[in-house]
Amino acid sequence: MIGLAKGFSYTLKNLTRKKVTYDYPNEPLPLPDRFRGIQKFYPEKCIVCNQCSNICPTDCIQLTGKKHPDPSKKGKIIDTYDINFEICILCDLCTEVCPTEAIIMTNNFELAEYSRDQLFKNLEWLDENDENKRTVNKP
Amino acid sequence: MIRTEEMLLNVGPQHPSTHGVFRLVIKIDGEVIKEATPVIGYLHRGTEKLAEDLQYTQIIPYTDRMDYLSAMTNNYVICHAVETMMNIQVPERAEYLRVLAMELGRVASHLVWWGTYLLDIGAVSPFLYAFREREMIINLLTELSGARLTFNYMRVGGVKWDAPEGWIEKVREFVPYMREQLKGYHQLVTGNEIFMKRVKGVGTYSKEEAINYSLSGANLRCTGVKWDLRKDEPYSIYDRFDFDVPVRTEGDAWARYECRMQEIVESLKIIEQAAAQFPAEGEIMAKVPKIIKAPKGEAYVRIESPRGEIGCYIASDGKKEPYRLKFRRPSFYNLQILPKLLKGENMANLITILGAIDIVLGEVDG
Amino acid sequence: MVEDLLASSPGLLNFGIFFLLATVLLLVILGFVTYAILAERKVMGFMQLRQGPNQVGGRWGLLQTVADVLKLLIKEDTIPKSADRPLFILAPVIAFAPAFMVVAVIPFTDKLQFADIGVGLLYYIAISGISTVGIVTGGWASNNKYALLGGMRAAAQMISYEIPLVMSVLGVILLAGSLNLNDIVDAQSSGWYILKQPIGFIIFLVASIAELNRTPFDLPEAESELVAGFHVEYSGFRWAFFMLSEYVYLFAMASLTTVLFLGGWGPLPFMDFIPGAVWFSLKFSLIVFLLIWVRVTLPRLRADQLMEFGWKVLLPVALANIFLTALLKELFNFM
Repeated sequence: MIGLAKGFSYTLKNLTRKKVTYDYPNEPLPLPDRFRGIQKFYPEKCIVCNQCSNICPTDCIQLTGKKHPDPSKKGKIIDTYDINFEICILCDLCTEVCPTEAIIMTNNFELAEYSRDQLFKNLEWLDENDENKRTVNKP
Repeated sequence: MIRTEEMLLNVGPQHPSTHGVFRLVIKIDGEVIKEATPVIGYLHRGTEKLAEDLQYTQIIPYTDRMDYLSAMTNNYVICHAVETMMNIQVPERAEYLRVLAMELGRVASHLVWWGTYLLDIGAVSPFLYAFREREMIINLLTELSGARLTFNYMRVGGVKWDAPEGWIEKVREFVPYMREQLKGYHQLVTGNEIFMKRVKGVGTYSKEEAINYSLSGANLRCTGVKWDLRKDEPYSIYDRFDFDVPVRTEGDAWARYECRMQEIVESLKIIEQAAAQFPAEGEIMAKVPKIIKAPKGEAYVRIESPRGEIGCYIASDGKKEPYRLKFRRPSFYNLQILPKLLKGENMANLITILGAIDIVLGEVDG
Repeated sequence: MVEDLLASSPGLLNFGIFFLLATVLLLVILGFVTYAILAERKVMGFMQLRQGPNQVGGRWGLLQTVADVLKLLIKEDTIPKSADRPLFILAPVIAFAPAFMVVAVIPFTDKLQFADIGVGLLYYIAISGISTVGIVTGGWASNNKYALLGGMRAAAQMISYEIPLVMSVLGVILLAGSLNLNDIVDAQSSGWYILKQPIGFIIFLVASIAELNRTPFDLPEAESELVAGFHVEYSGFRWAFFMLSEYVYLFAMASLTTVLFLGGWGPLPFMDFIPGAVWFSLKFSLIVFLLIWVRVTLPRLRADQLMEFGWKVLLPVALANIFLTALLKELFNFM
């Protein structure tokens, strides 16, 4: 009976304690800078080196480049850049390998959509994903 | 003349207490189980086969998803295997970060087990109390690695991030807080007569059986075998810490409960010491080539995960992908004893026994 | 008031009045159920460091249950193909009707009572036993193995706990010398029976929790073992009826405990300026809180342990309590 009584006193004590839940949809979750959310992409920084698409463990990044419009300059610029968030596991490897930090993580994790097609994010969408970008990208 | 018949009952794969998508086909006579056949594979993703086409760095996020309650130990075992093959010396600071992360993960994992076990037995509140503390650990690990469960934190030769500013202090503060809360847990549950009646003497097996079924972790230690790889085959820097290996001799669900609760205390000891010894500065990555290629040959390493012995075997032909990768997943091995334990038990004991084994389906199915 | 009506000649008007009164009582009870569920969720939430419902109806979630019931109303009513259709439909009715019927004999104050039956207590216990039939029927008619197991557990549990429940009350009946609930309340004006019958009270409380199918005795619907037990196949409003009967029983059982052991509407000494209805609701709320508190704290018993506890602990203790009460009453006559 003592064990039961102890348990009762513990739950009663907790009745008036401070609540620990987050008021989530009303207030954004406090997330650290390193948090890995949906990527932000800078098309102007990208040098089309294909490293992100190669390192991706689930092959969810597809990109194509085109010749630099300015014929005096070498290299390529990005043409299309798609991430399929149906299979992206937000592992952070693409941002780790990117030499120019053209792709970085943000704190945006709200990926719920009504249709699977909407999980296919293209270059424009990723470029506009501007909120809460990670400030320190490389360790 | 009354005619009775046995009933075939499918417990799962959609069942609240099978902790995921585990299925048990049981033959019951009234409420007494005559025969139990576990059916696994509903969460099989073929991690080992997938790994044959992946670079070593790319395998690490896959290991996160095996034992998703303590992803840090899985991260460690694959990194440790590759480091062993390549003979890489991991910098000290990185080792301390790894140990801190792994032990925090162990506490979090045992907390989830404690909460869900009590939930299985019918008490709702412990679950929420356990998750309150777990949330703090998850927050600490998020600050460190950037993700809540699938950390992908360790790399071959070190760790991805250094500890952020003030992180070590937060860990130090967490240890006494957690000890205080543990007292509350014991107050709420451990002495509870109903709980004791439910777990004492349930699902008992002997030392020999445990070894024959190749059980590990708390499932083995509850029978009196003092076997903890952190002590017996110290990997990483575990030989620098002073901690005990909790052992019980009863071999029942209650002994497993006590072992796990005591392991939280021991993990807290390690965390405390590691945070105190934490080197002020240093590298977090060893010198490793950009593309990691394990030399031709094979290696097997094993470490102590919260659920038992997790092992990683790599056979390499010198390419950047492994030729064959094999994980010894403790949950899978621990589950083998279930049909034997369930024979002749009550329906209600099914939950108690299954819960006490502490399986994670992601790990069972690989 | 009701006494006069009962004695008056039958007629359409009297029938109308009775019908109206019953409807009013039903609405009052439904109102109680609505807020009892909310209170349970809120108190559970607070004890578990959560907020509880706080979205529908302001930060206290005052309309949450209303919204839930509305959802259940517009839900599709599914009946499994291989279920025993008539019984499946009948079961929630059998479970609910007695829950409402027992409320008729509860004296809320000295004036507010619907039927002042001479053997009110016996009536309550007899009628409440019928609900078990509804639960077993539901479990059987669903043609589901989990439901069957739940139904069997319910039958076994309720039969074994009905007996200690009656036995624990016998002490009270011995002291009051009546089965009439009004007389029992009046007999407590000198001192509540919780003081004179502490053992009886504890047995009654435990047995009543078992009767109510609440944690730690919620085996028939043990979520983690039998998924939802006897009502696993029910959905929509049929399911709501089972839930409703559970909470109406909560209401009835808390009222009965108040009447039998806490002196009903009777006030504490020197505080009789507060009306009886307030006293009743205060004591009643205390019991409801106690039941919620038990639910938050305790894990579930196992079926065989439950039986063992009922027959080997509660029943002998209850019998000893009767013996002791009779002895004290006869020898010292001080109660």
